[in-house]
Amino acid sequence: MTQPVDDDLWSAVGDPMRRRLLDLLLAEGPGTATSLSERVPVTRQAVSKHLGVLDRVGLLRVEAAGRERRYRVDEAQLGRAVAQLNAVGAAWDGRLQRIKRIAEAVQRERGRQAGPDERRTKE
Amino acid sequence: MDLGSIEREIYVDATPEVVFEVVSSPEHITGWWPDEARYVARPGSSGEIVFGDPAAGGGATGFSVLEVYPPTTFSFRWTQAVDEEATEGNSLLVTFSLTPAGEGTLLRMVETGFRERGWEQAVLEQQYREHVAGWDHFLPRLPDYAATLGARA
Repeated sequence: MTQPVDDDLWSAVGDPMRRRLLDLLLAEGPGTATSLSERVPVTRQAVSKHLGVLDRVGLLRVEAAGRERRYRVDEAQLGRAVAQLNAVGAAWDGRLQRIKRIAEAVQRERGRQAGPDERRTKE
Repeated sequence: MDLGSIEREIYVDATPEVVFEVVSSPEHITGWWPDEARYVARPGSSGEIVFGDPAAGGGATGFSVLEVYPPTTFSFRWTQAVDEEATEGNSLLVTFSLTPAGEGTLLRMVETGFRERGWEQAVLEQQYREHVAGWDHFLPRLPDYAATLGARA
């Protein structure tokens, strides 16, 4: 396997600052630690560290830009990450919709029999 | 959103007692999730849930009940191998919390453990989802679908 470990990919995108950096790179195109640090409330060193994490899991492509490195998002890898995360969330959306449907059907069948503390509504 | 967990909330127009029964009982859980469920809704009980036909890419996974407080909390661990004890590293933790809301119930679901369990789990979940979506799609056309299966058999 030449793919980075998936656990690492998960925790790489789990950090809010790293997601903010990804957003900036996606919205505004390639950037360096210096250019990105002007857009977020952390130091250039901190940005550089975050970019390193994203780079190691394959989410970024790097090229030399003078003395700095210029980063851009590897969209294929990001797409893979996003699709899988969405899939997990979507699975629960479907399950909860079905829970709702079943519970409401059961409730209709039984009627709203008074529980010990049920309030009565006037009709 | 913390990508290591999934949180969802839904309003259900049924009492917490009814909703609790639907999220916790093996009889009802097959109505909204796996195809088969073998466990007892009692703290410490371990069993399994089964998705699809194990002979056709489906599979069974462990299901261990943690908390059972009707009608407010039901939690369990799943995705561990059927014969393994559920731990933080080998399973996902799902917690249902129920709160009365008007005449109905606010149902909250939190699933955690993705970071510990790993990325591959997301892929597994996706397969389950596809399986479920498949049934939602196919159920209304069951006669046609059955014919297809028959033709393959």
